[in-house]
Amino acid sequence: MTKYLIKKTLGWLLMIFLATNLAYLLAANFLDPRSNYIGRRPPLSAEEINNLLEPYNLSPDTPLVQRWWTWLTNILTKWDWGQSPVGEVVNSEISYRIWVSAQLLLLSTILSILIGVAVGVYTASRQYKTGDRVWQGISIIAMNTHVVVASIAVVWGALKINELTGKKIFYVVGSHSLDVEGFFPKLMDSAQHLVLPTISLVFISYASYHMTQRTLLLDNLDADYVRTARAKGLTRQQAIRKHALRTSIIPVATSVAFSIPGIFTGAVMTERIFGWNGMGQYFIETISKNDVNGAAAVAAFGAAMTAISAVLADVVVVALDPRVRVS
Amino acid sequence: MTPSKDRNYFKQEPRGEITAHSEVATGDPFSPAEAEQVATLEQMPRGTSRYKLYLRRFFRNKLATIGLIILVFLMLAALFGGFFAKWDYTEPDFLALSEPPSPEHWFGTNDTGNDLYAQTIHGLGRSLTIAIVVSLATLVISAFVGSAAALWGGVAEKAVLAVIHFLLSIPTFLLIALVVADSGGDWKLLIVVLIVFGWMYQARVIWSLALTVREQDYVRAAGYMGVSKLRTIVRHVIPNIGSLLIIQFVFGVVGTVGSETALSFLGLGVKLPDVSLGTLLQGGTAAVQSSPWLFYFPAATLTLLTVSMAFIGDGLRDALDPNSNSGGKA
Repeated sequence: MTKYLIKKTLGWLLMIFLATNLAYLLAANFLDPRSNYIGRRPPLSAEEINNLLEPYNLSPDTPLVQRWWTWLTNILTKWDWGQSPVGEVVNSEISYRIWVSAQLLLLSTILSILIGVAVGVYTASRQYKTGDRVWQGISIIAMNTHVVVASIAVVWGALKINELTGKKIFYVVGSHSLDVEGFFPKLMDSAQHLVLPTISLVFISYASYHMTQRTLLLDNLDADYVRTARAKGLTRQQAIRKHALRTSIIPVATSVAFSIPGIFTGAVMTERIFGWNGMGQYFIETISKNDVNGAAAVAAFGAAMTAISAVLADVVVVALDPRVRVS
Repeated sequence: MTPSKDRNYFKQEPRGEITAHSEVATGDPFSPAEAEQVATLEQMPRGTSRYKLYLRRFFRNKLATIGLIILVFLMLAALFGGFFAKWDYTEPDFLALSEPPSPEHWFGTNDTGNDLYAQTIHGLGRSLTIAIVVSLATLVISAFVGSAAALWGGVAEKAVLAVIHFLLSIPTFLLIALVVADSGGDWKLLIVVLIVFGWMYQARVIWSLALTVREQDYVRAAGYMGVSKLRTIVRHVIPNIGSLLIIQFVFGVVGTVGSETALSFLGLGVKLPDVSLGTLLQGGTAAVQSSPWLFYFPAATLTLLTVSMAFIGDGLRDALDPNSNSGGKA
């Protein structure tokens, strides 16, 4: 097992390395950091701009190969991911934003999994009955509603409620208010900010767990061991919960393992609409602000999280499924 | 042994939301062996023909029928709706800025006086064109790459799989955004980029299906008869996973509409003066309180489009799958 994991991890490290370099080279080619200084008053000459960019290792005067080498050695020797064209340090940006994204996504991920699996079990045990059909329809609609549409619809509803009650019950923008003091007021304030994005995220993401869990449970409902369980006197509900669900939840657990790192990579659209300064927002900012180093770091972080989830999924399967042996 | 060889199967991502790398996630509706079973129905001496059977099974599904009606309506609107528009989508009416829906402007106007009806029709057409072209191209590429990898085997297969896994692990959406950000909103470039970074996941699914097809006797027989590999793919492998390909195409369109809208919403895809549903949504979001019609017309169009396609895909999956008993027998 350990040997297998080490081998897997080494393979993934190579992938991350290649992906990061590819992202850096693409970013260096397609993004132009000089445009951040164009339009400044007083206007700067091309030479002055290049001189300003020089300390950030972004000056177009330096050959790309040399810039790439400096960037790479800084990461490998000092774990320094560089700076943006206006001098913000990439390392500190990312380490701050990871937690903002996690705050936003942790709750909604847990809720999506719980609701999705529960609905999956409910519908699978009533296949093709009214309850199943209705949930199927709702879930198809939920899964195919665009996140922008879902979010704005939620915002719209919240604004209406605020208007009707005349109080600010829901906050539409940001992760917290600045002037709140004390533990409980702060908790309340966070909740008021968190409710809307959580509703829209749960709405669009629970359905995939529902569909997966339903299909998997249906595969197991007719299995011999479930019939045996019924024969020895368990009720149908008990047989499903204790026997069929146990087997069929393993693949769902794998997909849960896959979604955990996604908590930290953030949700681009949701963060953008609700104004949370998490990783998703950072991803857009690096591109719109021509932040070559930042974009490469976001790519590296994304690839690393994918790698972690893949390894985690393997571990989860081995831990949960006694039939799987790793050689 | 790899414990979770097909874990990507379970990784369905919500429509339009973006994680580190988003891709078109399509389930695996049925195995090639079952698809083959469908094919043999043709040789039945009499009775219902195969396509009649498919049609009957499809239209028995109420949601799928509703989906098809909505989709046909939307396509007709995208094709011919422009003829009824009193304004061009680029032509501002300075006498009607941010006006609610009226007989002159059916869907109202935005703050620069553009007619929202004309814009929505144009945007729907633009989004549909992008989505259909991208899904067709990714389907063809992934069908060939996937089945070729399975059929050739050996080093070629390993190399193709390595490339696919590498492309799947990188944050594709970031790379797409990087490449299209500076393009000035050219939708043709957007198509190319979405194809280049969009075929891998489907190719992997098709590869795993083609693995079972290549073990079939008729494929071996074709090999002994001296039929070239390329011809075997076209004549034997692809027809046997045909129903899966159709379903993948439908869900591919839904997925592409989602990514295109997301990119355009972020200001990275289609840009003004050209409009797509994403750019319209962006405008509607900014004005959701002052002029809500700017939001709900494009939002309704987009939702109708994706949901109707999803209903159709679901209906097709049931109609083409001989083992499905969702709607009674036959």
